[in-house]
Amino acid sequence: MPAAKTSIAALPRGHVFPPAPVRLTAADAAAYAAATGDCSDYVAAGHVPPLAVAALALRLLLEAYELPPGSLHTGQEVEFRAPLRPDAELAMTGEVAQRSERAGMVISVIEFTVSGDGGPIVSGRTTVMAPQGES
Amino acid sequence: MEQPSVPPLSRALTQDAINAYADAAGDHNPIHVDETFARATPFGGTIAHGMLVLAYVSETMTRAFGDAWARTGRLKVRFKAPARPGDTLTVTAEPKGRAVEDSPGREENGQARWEYAVTCANAAGEALITGTASVEAA
Repeated sequence: MPAAKTSIAALPRGHVFPPAPVRLTAADAAAYAAATGDCSDYVAAGHVPPLAVAALALRLLLEAYELPPGSLHTGQEVEFRAPLRPDAELAMTGEVAQRSERAGMVISVIEFTVSGDGGPIVSGRTTVMAPQGES
Repeated sequence: MEQPSVPPLSRALTQDAINAYADAAGDHNPIHVDETFARATPFGGTIAHGMLVLAYVSETMTRAFGDAWARTGRLKVRFKAPARPGDTLTVTAEPKGRAVEDSPGREENGQARWEYAVTCANAAGEALITGTASVEAA
């Protein structure tokens, strides 16, 4: 039986996520573009939708940690630094940059960066609110 | 140089689109994909992933700026209300003018950027996402 995941709300400020290898395949990028209905000329030319990399980073977090029922994604910042080639070898790093508690909810701000050989591809800040005490 | 205008983008949101995004993003939280579960929550039904709706905002900017958006684009938004299956969503980006990057120590410091107030609203005019997008001015 797999071990229970740790709730993101339980992670303290300053918690550093272990660096994680990331690969967005051409099939992943195509599935993302189809799911979001992105038919821009940029994507039609074979480029990866820029936000797909940020979505992939959040996917990695969701696979490693739990978002308790009742959690809300309340804010998002992203900064695109370079286009992504499909199948590039990438690494994601991140940490809990802020954590506060208010009205029975934990507000966590997670900073992440996805980098390739040439440097950062995308960085971001994700704000989530989760019920306190749920894990 | 005059700030480029950004054409609006409209999308009809369906449960099929939400389900496809859940598969693509690996996020099968029942609030997005399980109508029975979602009906018993304060939302009263399924809602779209915030990142799906944000993808429409990013696509709006991608259509306007292409590669420049992928290299220098920035988004900062708040998710103010959920998007639901059946909603028709419209993304708008209103020009806010030119700003100069103020990030000492970064190579972008001093670069000019175009700023936009971005909104994604439903057919009732309710703003679901509000925030700012910016891209390096050519």
